[in-house]
Amino acid sequence: MVEPSLPPVIAEGVSKDFGSLRALREVSLSVSSSEIFGLIGPNGSGKTTLIRLLLGLGRPTRGSLRVLGGIMPDRRVSSQVGYMTQASALYSDLSVRQNLSFFGRIYGIRGKDLQERTSEVLALVDLSARTESPVNCLSGGMRQRVSLAVALLHRPKVLFLDEPTVGIDPELRLSFWTYFERLAAEGVTIIVSTHYLDEAKKCHRLALLRAGRVLAANTPRGLLEESGEAEFDEAFLYFASRREGARE
Amino acid sequence: MSLRRILATALRIVQQFSRDGRTLVLILVAPLAVLLLLNSALSGKAPEVTLGVVADATSFSPAAFSQMENQLKTIDRVHVVMIDRDKVDQDLREGKADGVLLTPQETDPPTSLVLRVEGSDPATAQRLRLIVEQAAKGFQPNAPAEPASVRTEYLYGGKEYTETDALAPYFIGLFDFLFVFLLSSVAFLRERSQGTMERVLVSPLSRSELVVGYLLGFTIFALLQALMIMFFVIGVLHIHYAGSLVLLLLVTLLLTIGAINLGIFTSVFAKNELQVIQFVPLLLVPQILLGGLFFPVRSLPVVLKQLAYLFPVTYANFALKDVMVRGFGLAGIWTDVVFLVAFAVLMVGAAVLSLGRRRAFP
Repeated sequence: MVEPSLPPVIAEGVSKDFGSLRALREVSLSVSSSEIFGLIGPNGSGKTTLIRLLLGLGRPTRGSLRVLGGIMPDRRVSSQVGYMTQASALYSDLSVRQNLSFFGRIYGIRGKDLQERTSEVLALVDLSARTESPVNCLSGGMRQRVSLAVALLHRPKVLFLDEPTVGIDPELRLSFWTYFERLAAEGVTIIVSTHYLDEAKKCHRLALLRAGRVLAANTPRGLLEESGEAEFDEAFLYFASRREGARE
Repeated sequence: MSLRRILATALRIVQQFSRDGRTLVLILVAPLAVLLLLNSALSGKAPEVTLGVVADATSFSPAAFSQMENQLKTIDRVHVVMIDRDKVDQDLREGKADGVLLTPQETDPPTSLVLRVEGSDPATAQRLRLIVEQAAKGFQPNAPAEPASVRTEYLYGGKEYTETDALAPYFIGLFDFLFVFLLSSVAFLRERSQGTMERVLVSPLSRSELVVGYLLGFTIFALLQALMIMFFVIGVLHIHYAGSLVLLLLVTLLLTIGAINLGIFTSVFAKNELQVIQFVPLLLVPQILLGGLFFPVRSLPVVLKQLAYLFPVTYANFALKDVMVRGFGLAGIWTDVVFLVAFAVLMVGAAVLSLGRRRAFP
């Protein structure tokens, strides 16, 4: 199904309306294999809507989205993508292992394979010691790490992370980015949204979103050069005002 | 203590309530609705009864009989019908009469009357006995010296058959429906609020697989509950029990499937656990009140009766009572089973569809 020449994630002229609210306007972007692609923008800029459309949780009003060659929503792609949000999305009354086992099984992972992968992802997020703990006994940061472990369990080719580091401490944020870089190095394509501008620097490429529109898309260095600014917050303001200037 | 802070808190509570129209309607209107239901259901105090009369005996004077018949007819909420002697039990089974008064045959003493009651509802049987005994006092067929005596026979149940025996079948259905509905609704609501639903929806698990998975998981506990109640009422409370356990579990299973999926479906319309609880007076209380537990469905006012015939719990009650008290087989309860199957299918469909609101692929 996957054509090797085709980028794993493509959006072409995607718009999405919720009633009279236009959440996305003519968004086009393409993400290459093994790339960490950042979606940067304030709350309400359309980051979550774009990620949800890419996951098949809804249809675009106009335009098309392709993930791993399938035109979304496409059921066949679902076993090859992973998803994590700022809500840890775990069954809090179950143990870490029970959570991983449930999500593993619905992806068709069973028996010894399931055990091996469980140990593998828990080692990656440094939680091997808490395998049998009920999730509601874990700290917020630990839950987020379990959540990432669940998203990785079925070895997705594309990982969608919607503000994965919101509400966790700076140290853990750093280790999350270490995980992401390790995964990208192993060939996983990562689309990550954030409104932390310091995280933006760590992406291979970025799209700046505002009011449902892509203001600019480039490498972090490229965006700074394009704007002539030294910091991202200033660069962001530059692109935002340029856009408003263009509208007038 | 600061009055300002207290008032600020009170104002905030009022604002929260006024933003939640449903809760407001619930606390203001629901009690009235429940009272209305209770009132109209309770308005006829004694259960309405139909008394069949067999009056073919030659030893019996028609004049004396018609005198008694007239007396019976004057009693409120009593219907009198004529019945053939060889069709007594059949008519009782089919519900054409709740009890039949048999006049003495040639071989019997002329003053011994027999009241044969259907017996599955103790209140109805009791009322029939009182009415007939009262009527018999003024009934002196050929020998004016002694008043007639009435012997009561039972088609189902018996003299020892009490209200508790009669209520046991209803409890199985009600508990099952109540718990399964609440638990599945809350469980599904949590899936949404904690975000696991999204995670499941982006996985290869399909909507129908999810619903059937829920169904299996919950059914285990619902059947366990039904068995527990069964063994408790039979083993500990020594309830009158005549029927087949397999049929009882079948009826419970069907009701459970309906209840789980009703729970899943309604969870879409609830934002939190409180709002799930709010469905109880709306969806469950009418079924509890009208489903036959408190008043025989047949003697409800017309509008309420028609409402009762829309409720799955009513049909489960009919079927469970037929199985437990009357010992009916599948042939005797098939119409109830058909309705329960239809309800279950309808609710599974509604549940699957309600999940699709968020996901674009099937």
